[in-house]
Amino acid sequence: MIAKRLAWGWLVVMLGIALLAPWLSPNPPAQSLFDPLAPPGPGLPLGADALGRDFLARMMVGARLSLLLTGLAAAVTLIVGGLAGFSAAIVGGRYEVAINWLSNVLLAIPGLLLAMLFVAAWGPGIAAVILAVGIGFAPSFGRVTRSIAKSLLEEGYVMAAQAIGGDRLWITSRHLLPNSLPQLASYAGTYFAWAFLAVTTLTFLGLAGDPSIPEWGALLDSSRSHLQSAPRLAAAPALAITLTVLAVHAIASKEPVP
Amino acid sequence: MVPLSERPRITALVPLARRLSVGLLTAVAAVSLTFFALRLAAGDPVASLLSQGLTTPEQAEAMRRSLGYDLPLFRQYLRFLANFARGDLGVSLYSGQSVTAIIGSQVSSTVQLAGLSLAVALPLGIFLGSISSWKTRPAAQRAATTLSGLATSLPVATTGVISLLIVSLLARRQVSGVQLWLPALVLGYAAAGPFARAVHAGLESSLNSPFILAAKARGLRRGRRMYWHALRPALPAAIALIALEAAFLFTGTVVTETVFSRPGLGRTLVRSILQADFPVAQGIVALAALIYVGSQILADGLGWVLDPRLRDTG
Repeated sequence: MIAKRLAWGWLVVMLGIALLAPWLSPNPPAQSLFDPLAPPGPGLPLGADALGRDFLARMMVGARLSLLLTGLAAAVTLIVGGLAGFSAAIVGGRYEVAINWLSNVLLAIPGLLLAMLFVAAWGPGIAAVILAVGIGFAPSFGRVTRSIAKSLLEEGYVMAAQAIGGDRLWITSRHLLPNSLPQLASYAGTYFAWAFLAVTTLTFLGLAGDPSIPEWGALLDSSRSHLQSAPRLAAAPALAITLTVLAVHAIASKEPVP
Repeated sequence: MVPLSERPRITALVPLARRLSVGLLTAVAAVSLTFFALRLAAGDPVASLLSQGLTTPEQAEAMRRSLGYDLPLFRQYLRFLANFARGDLGVSLYSGQSVTAIIGSQVSSTVQLAGLSLAVALPLGIFLGSISSWKTRPAAQRAATTLSGLATSLPVATTGVISLLIVSLLARRQVSGVQLWLPALVLGYAAAGPFARAVHAGLESSLNSPFILAAKARGLRRGRRMYWHALRPALPAAIALIALEAAFLFTGTVVTETVFSRPGLGRTLVRSILQADFPVAQGIVALAALIYVGSQILADGLGWVLDPRLRDTG
């Protein structure tokens, strides 16, 4: 219980920082106002990075970028996977077989590699990272959605709705969606955690295109050359990523079987 | 003893053969996916070289012809599949080296890292999984559960940088990071999570099963011997996981190699994506898909060999 409360607390604080970063941050994150690798001091709690930029300011904008990218990627997963799953369940027949087959093929490539394949196809960039991560995990969520929807189709009220001639769209929006929402929501946290992991990993690998964006994964990457002289530059993003992953996992209740 | 006549015969191999053919189809489809994803989304690979001013229009035209990019897409696809089957993955757009040769030069470093990580992961996972079912020691149990949970949830990039940070602070000098043991430890720890989970789940179910009650009734004490009793049925699941972990380790090496600046397939993949060197990226992802599908079949087969209970259900 305490763990869950702490987790919510951390996420709310991060979300607040992400929303209010431009107003909270003491210095502009992209301007070199200080000495390179300046140590922490008054008004500069985390010191400056190798280009003399306020590192706390960069971390704050990083919260905004990381959470926004993750949120968008997770939204792509939920929308694409959800649409595919619901439609496969209710349309059935050859369409369902085709969707199943497609998701099996996509699942034959591990999620992160699939995302990297898409980044390769679209070229490195922030939009590519979002779409790639989103679509990379969509087959897995599609499967979860389909099996939940299939089990709902067996329910008496859904059969009754079908018997009185309700069309597929109406049954999906009126019965399947609301009744599967609690279950789907319990999985959503895990997909958010996976998306966060994949997004920070891809930006860490430099696949967001611009290596100077202050996303946490990219900050972690650029800190590696100053481990000895400025360990705080690595410690801060590492800690932020770790705590966020742990918080989301503490809240997320269910994990899909891969 | 099951009488000889009732033992599974060759018919029991039918599901295995079916699994094999489905796996083969999936592998072909996954390899095709790498082709179409790159060609449909990225279009003409030579165009990016041209736009970066790396070739002249005449050179680009000649390159297109020699690579077969002037053919219709479907003919290119058939050609790609035929070449792939022969182990010809095309040539790098940058170095002109054959992709097979590039993969060949990098594979040993990656296999070394993945192998050593697996050697770390299996015992560590079994250890953590067993401790996390140790009811009489709640503190140890909680610690092991937390550690194995962290192993699966933390990104390798983060644990890798943290470990580098710790080592460099302890050693008080910049660590070059090309050593093998640190990346293998980091990747092995991450891979230990699933093993721990499988062993834990197996132990939980066998500790509640009648044969453990029977063993207790026969006077078998708690402790090592009974532990072995409960652990043994849980092991096949964990060992079958080895095959599935191959895919995880492959993805893991992509990050680990970058964190520790180690040469290998993963780093080559990242570089090829950044350089838009499509044939190389395509070759490595297709190889990964093959390994993944192959390892899933291997996992099923291993489970079938190790755990007789799986044979009855087919």
